[in-house]
Amino acid sequence: MNIFGKAALFAAGAAALVANPALADEDAFRVGGIVSLSGAYGVIGESMRKGAELAAEARGGTVLGAPIVFEWEDTETNPQIAVQKASALMGKGVDMLFGAVSSGSTLAVMKVSERRGVPLIVTLSASDRITGEDMASNTFRTSNPVRMENTMMAEFVGREKLGKIYAVVADYGVGRDMWDDLKGRLDAVGAEIVAEDYPPLGGRDYALIIDKIKKTDADGVVMIMTGGDAITFLKQSGQVGLKDEKQIFGTMVMDEMMGEAVGDLSFGVNSTLRYHFAIDNEVNRAFVESYVAKYGVYPDQAAGEAYDGMAWFLDVVEETGVWDQQAWIKAFSTSTNTKSLEGVKVMRACDHQAAQSGIFGKAIKGEAPHPNVTMEISYQFDSETLFPACD
Amino acid sequence: MTGTLIIGLSIAMMLFLLAAGLTIIFGMLGVINFAHGVLYMVGGFIAVEVVNQTGNFWLSLLVAPLAVAALSALLEILLLRPLYDRDHVEQLLMTFGIILVLDEVVRTVWGLGYHDIPLPGSLSGAIPVFDSDVAVYRLFLIGAGLIAGLGLFALIEWTKLGIVLRGAMTHPAMVRSLGIPVSTIRTIVFALGGGLAALAGTIAAPLIPIQVGMGFGIIVDCFIVVILGGLGNIRGAIAAALLLGLVRAFGQQYFPEWIELSTYLVLMIVLLWRPQGLFTFSKGRKA
Repeated sequence: MNIFGKAALFAAGAAALVANPALADEDAFRVGGIVSLSGAYGVIGESMRKGAELAAEARGGTVLGAPIVFEWEDTETNPQIAVQKASALMGKGVDMLFGAVSSGSTLAVMKVSERRGVPLIVTLSASDRITGEDMASNTFRTSNPVRMENTMMAEFVGREKLGKIYAVVADYGVGRDMWDDLKGRLDAVGAEIVAEDYPPLGGRDYALIIDKIKKTDADGVVMIMTGGDAITFLKQSGQVGLKDEKQIFGTMVMDEMMGEAVGDLSFGVNSTLRYHFAIDNEVNRAFVESYVAKYGVYPDQAAGEAYDGMAWFLDVVEETGVWDQQAWIKAFSTSTNTKSLEGVKVMRACDHQAAQSGIFGKAIKGEAPHPNVTMEISYQFDSETLFPACD
Repeated sequence: MTGTLIIGLSIAMMLFLLAAGLTIIFGMLGVINFAHGVLYMVGGFIAVEVVNQTGNFWLSLLVAPLAVAALSALLEILLLRPLYDRDHVEQLLMTFGIILVLDEVVRTVWGLGYHDIPLPGSLSGAIPVFDSDVAVYRLFLIGAGLIAGLGLFALIEWTKLGIVLRGAMTHPAMVRSLGIPVSTIRTIVFALGGGLAALAGTIAAPLIPIQVGMGFGIIVDCFIVVILGGLGNIRGAIAAALLLGLVRAFGQQYFPEWIELSTYLVLMIVLLWRPQGLFTFSKGRKA
């Protein structure tokens, strides 16, 4: 073949790829992971990476006959960077996106990925906007939304008969939105809000707020705080015995990972749990066993949710039997995951939110081989309580 | 009221411990050390390691500052010494580079997770002070800050080493002519600043989670104290930390929503009105 023949063949091949980009991808199923891999949320992103990769391994590392390949990018918990990284991954032809950690990053990525029609699976970000006012046709959340967490906290307050509540709410958009929603739910169960404080994100000293709380007659203290802020609050409040006087609870404020940083001062702290390794079913036991075997530690909430969401989506892709992102999106929007680590999850076509049961836990002293601080599941809430029917 | 005052003092002493090393390095070397926060973080991680290995918090208070002081000396000799005669921007960029490298080293060695130093038994619990319960550790923190402040002041103001340190910074040629190696003096100052950052990281460890990136959050507070106190002014740093700590303490009681805003407003006013700092009254001795 002369030079003109080769050029014509190359041009024809290139044209074919442009006309059907999916053809170029069928040698591998490419997952674009956009998570925080540095900074305060880096530890969460790392857990998500481990969970998602294990989900691929659990099915032999293939889907639709192609090997599953992950490409991870660090969003640095910055929405702008998340969009840049997601756009670059989509430019490389990833078949799906997975992430992000913070709701701000997820909301930003949803917009650009919807335009490209690339499925986005969310397994951690909790903002109600993701499956509410900003819902996108390509985006699905398999983990807990804020409303679900708030319903569980209100149920907890009702069941524990906490009449007066003091709120400590990190001063950022999602935190304030969450608190605004929770206030109404607490009112509905007859709880009175004694006072509320809005410390800035990244606070390093909560002694004065803790002192104010101790001087009130509140029965419970609700924490709407994340990561390091929650740890700092719990360490400092534990040092003056706040948890011995009032019930401390919150959304994702305590689990084994947080307990490692708070130490023995964790005991007695209550928290919503997205996932827990102690959930008693066959699927979860098998997952925990393989996770411990691979990584040497028990899976945390981020890892469990990541595994669950990724395994579910890959199952659906396999069931479609076709290499077509729109077919995967359509199939996933009405799918049911009967093999969820948490029982059964049902994807709601109306808002792309997985309806599921929920759990609440209390930190206790763990016995080997469990960590020193281990969560004991104290309450379980059924899906019907947590997810009212779609309008 | 008294409880608030004591908590405010503890916040102030923590701020002072954080900022002391930074103000010494800037005041004496003229280097804006953005790596101060990362040295604080390294100090926290070394303290965690010492406590994990020995179970001795008190030992960590000694080992972490000394180890970071040695590391700082090495950094100064290898990376900063060649830059003293160049533009300040190059020194600034170098300290940024140090942040990136040390962050990555810590991440590789200790991972991204949270770490804890439990309180030693003798510093656990709380005592009632009028209408408040104050953690015993807060009282220790106030004492540690005062001792560090007085020690630094005494070192710089009243010792022969202090005279040499100050002389080397303001009149290096004169000090050199007396046979004293100025470059060694600079290394000592940078090591002292790094050691103080690590001391702050160790003392902070029982109050906060130790994690990669924890140094970024403190650097703004450090600069607020340094600017309010006057660059290189130890007395000024103590006074500024007290001012800031008490404003935050009483502000939390009476105007919690305005604390951050008012802090930055004061900072801007000081920069415009008294760029030399609130507590620097002459161009002479600063200690």
